[in-house]
Amino acid sequence: MRQTIVYNIFQILFVLAFAPLYSGVLSRFKELVQSKRGPSIFQPYRDLWKLFHKDQILSSETTWIFRITPYLVFIMPIFVTILIPVLTDYPLVFAFMGDMLAAGFFLGLAGFFAALAAVDTGNPYGPMGASRTRMVGFLAEPVFMIVFFTVSFVAQSTIPYIVQQKWIASPAAFFSPAHVLLLIAFLMLILAEGGRIPVDNPTGHFELAMIDESKGLEFSGRGAALMKWGGQMKFLVLACIFLNVLLAPWGLAQSRDIVHVLAAVPLILIKILLFAILLVSIESSLAKLRLFRISEFLGAAFITSVTAMIVSIFFAS
Amino acid sequence: MSAQMSVPEALNTLSAGLVLISAFAMVATRQVQGVVRFFIIQSLLLAASCFLLGYSQNSFHLYALGAITIVAKVIAIPWVLKRTLARELYERREIDQAFNIPASLLLALFLAIVSVLLVSPIMSITPDPVIRINLPIGLAGVLIGAFSLMARREAVPQLIGILAMENGAFFAGIAIAAELPLIAELTVAFNVILITVIIGLLARNIKETIGTTEAGALTELKEEPVSWR
Amino acid sequence: MALIAVVVLPLLAAFLCWIPVLRRAAWIISVVCLCSDFVLALFVSRQVVRNLIFVGVRGWLEADGLSALMLLLVSFVCALAVFFAGDYMRHNGNHSHRLWWFYCNYNLLAFALIIVPALADPNLVWVGVELVTLFAILLVAFEGTASALEAAWKYSVLTIMGAPISLLGFLVLFWSYHSGGGTGPETWSSLTLAAHSMPPSLLRLAFLLVFVGFGTKVGLAPMHTWLPDAHSQAPSPVCAVLSGVKTSIPLYAILRLLSIVLLSPEARMGRWMIVIGLLSVAIAAFLLLQVREYKRMFAYSTVEHMGIILTAAGLATQASDFGAVSQMLNHSITKSLCFYVAGTVLVTMETREIKSIRGLLRVSPFMGATLLLCALAIAGAPPFPIFLSEYSILSAGIRGGHNLAVAILACLIVLAFIGIMLQVNRMVFGRPELTHEEAPVPLTCRIAVIVAVLPVIALGVYIPSPLHSLLQLAARQLGGR
Repeated sequence: MRQTIVYNIFQILFVLAFAPLYSGVLSRFKELVQSKRGPSIFQPYRDLWKLFHKDQILSSETTWIFRITPYLVFIMPIFVTILIPVLTDYPLVFAFMGDMLAAGFFLGLAGFFAALAAVDTGNPYGPMGASRTRMVGFLAEPVFMIVFFTVSFVAQSTIPYIVQQKWIASPAAFFSPAHVLLLIAFLMLILAEGGRIPVDNPTGHFELAMIDESKGLEFSGRGAALMKWGGQMKFLVLACIFLNVLLAPWGLAQSRDIVHVLAAVPLILIKILLFAILLVSIESSLAKLRLFRISEFLGAAFITSVTAMIVSIFFAS
Repeated sequence: MSAQMSVPEALNTLSAGLVLISAFAMVATRQVQGVVRFFIIQSLLLAASCFLLGYSQNSFHLYALGAITIVAKVIAIPWVLKRTLARELYERREIDQAFNIPASLLLALFLAIVSVLLVSPIMSITPDPVIRINLPIGLAGVLIGAFSLMARREAVPQLIGILAMENGAFFAGIAIAAELPLIAELTVAFNVILITVIIGLLARNIKETIGTTEAGALTELKEEPVSWR
Repeated sequence: MALIAVVVLPLLAAFLCWIPVLRRAAWIISVVCLCSDFVLALFVSRQVVRNLIFVGVRGWLEADGLSALMLLLVSFVCALAVFFAGDYMRHNGNHSHRLWWFYCNYNLLAFALIIVPALADPNLVWVGVELVTLFAILLVAFEGTASALEAAWKYSVLTIMGAPISLLGFLVLFWSYHSGGGTGPETWSSLTLAAHSMPPSLLRLAFLLVFVGFGTKVGLAPMHTWLPDAHSQAPSPVCAVLSGVKTSIPLYAILRLLSIVLLSPEARMGRWMIVIGLLSVAIAAFLLLQVREYKRMFAYSTVEHMGIILTAAGLATQASDFGAVSQMLNHSITKSLCFYVAGTVLVTMETREIKSIRGLLRVSPFMGATLLLCALAIAGAPPFPIFLSEYSILSAGIRGGHNLAVAILACLIVLAFIGIMLQVNRMVFGRPELTHEEAPVPLTCRIAVIVAVLPVIALGVYIPSPLHSLLQLAARQLGGR
């Protein structure tokens, strides 16, 4: 029992530590693909360090929402980390506290407060970005729901650990069309929720075109650091869910030995690296969609997930 | 998936799911070249399924059919289309269609459900898992191809719709009629190529005489009420 | 051997037309080959009446009663139409350097049409029907005008769309044959034998798919929209072949499959056939009331007659089957006559519209009389053969107890009669416009029309007994006995 609490804390530390690294690796790869040199992969750490040592400036027009949001955005992914398999194959102590729907709700709560904070500032670009984020969010909701329902239906459970066992059972289960379709749908969802191309350009500086980035415009100092770190953790958590539950549920520690758990860390890092390569190749080959075409993109994701559900119901997977 | 399914059959199930997705993708694409690309992907999946089923049933006919599919539909037909059609037809980026994309996708999903329901009384006849998945998805491919044919108003997507229907018919056929002598299938493939070439010529002719292949613009032949003078 | 010759002759003719040296003589070659084809078909039919079946190549080329009837029809119409085409195509001046391609194409179409009834393997029948579609598309587009191309494009998309659907249907049929325990090669006759053991749901699915797929080619409602365009824009001899036999050939395939399906009692297809047949007749009848061009009028009447044949087959009694096959025979000869006459009218008056033509009887008594005659014949007036076959269908329906269907059918036939006669009366009677200069009727067209009129008049009063036995044989085939 005590061991699992330790492992849980270990998991949280893993996510805290490696989220900025993940973000750094992604931007470095993107620059490399474009034949530039790109920043060092540890640059996000330096950015966070710098931001923590700066003063925070708060506008007098803002309310408590603006002050509380960075902490929320930082803490919510940590809660999600407790629930999902990051390093280990077996459920840890808090794993049954919430299932995948709860994970979705936590992330949704953080996003909701971020949008509110953006409106709170009174800056014209904030609400614009916030409304766009909400549009993408509500279009992505049905997809989230259907993906979760299908995964739960197929695996007969909503706890991520148990779902993961199902896919790992046999090659036939892994290659079943329901599984592949869910992978495609969830990947499209990650692209939408994480604010990557083709939904949004994460490196853009043009406020009129920003969707997700605009919510971090007004923060400074510690608030900005927490927002950035929280965003990076959210993206890493989504990637962990995708990889460890759906796509590649291998490499996780299967025994309670601390050596195995430690050995799982580099394996997970390698998986995340490969996923980063996949993500960069997708991003570099597509163009950003026009705003109203995003509904078609998410509509396609919806259809894919509904098809997965139909396939799993009718073909008795 | 039952654990008794062998690996080729499991992979065939995978390609079946991807065939369905490529059928949806053909409905959801806006560009002519996108439609052609997804058609090529679908044909490749069909060929892969032929090879997998041929391996698991040791049928030479299926191997040959897979090879013919690759030669005809992946290589020959896109090449012929590119050659015989005018550039403006082939590179169009906004296909004129009757429904917008989310609506088309929903209709295509509905057709997929309809085809599964149509086939369900037959499912009780056979326990063969390959037939159970190939037949509904093949029929869904046929119906979705027919839908994309009727919803699009331009020549090339309509043509690709017909070829996609053929893909669907064969995808079902390789599961249910694997012992059919190859001659019929060879002639069929050749037939399809022939028709495509000629229709491609027609489309060029149409472009030259009428100026566009937008079939919505072809409205000259219609009935108007006649006065009973 | 004769059967093989029947099938190969048009192919030979096409090949000969293609050779550059012989291109000038393309018409003569076609006429000679197709006429001898007709003679051979007569010979084959006679053998079939005597021996019940004629085997060319066992398992591949076989002719039974229904096949022999179709062979006869196809060869007759094709031969006469190509004879008609001689002066007609020459008159329509601007294609004289491409005429050899027309005849080559025409012979290929004739080959495809002839081979379909002779094939014993249903899958090859599918290939044959698709070949028919292909060559017909090429012929429809021959003239190269904007409206011809539009008609050809609509035609090709709608009919080729049926191809994969019917292919899937035939594959399901193959599967049901083998899962019903059928051994040996799959032919129409072995399918009939195995019909009882084939699972009914499979049979039903197969029939549904083949019906939808081929139904677009036959012009059954609601898939008939291409028919008026294609059949009015093509050159008239081609229209004669298209309306006369090309729509009957896929219907032949559907009826063969229907006869197999009806043998299996749990697949209840008869009622649906009646409904769809009546729907086609209804749509055609209403459209006939407001048609603008006379060739389109004849095209709509083709839709109507295909619907009548389907309804008759759906009634599924011995007498209605006989009515169905005799309707097929009578429709082919009458409809081809109609298009010959329409062709002569087009050549001399040079307009397609009904309202531009008046007083045809005074302009040219020959054309006026034949137009009136063929309109009466196709609308179903006595003493013409279509009246006889429609009457036998109606009476068979009443004897079988389908009173409602027969009543609806009768009303619709009357409606179509009114529609056709109204239009034709306006064309034939009245005072002609004096300013119109018309060309004389070409010679071969005149001869073709006269030759075509003879069976139409003759068969209305007397059916020679070999033909009668052939029809009865075909009807028994349709009933699956």
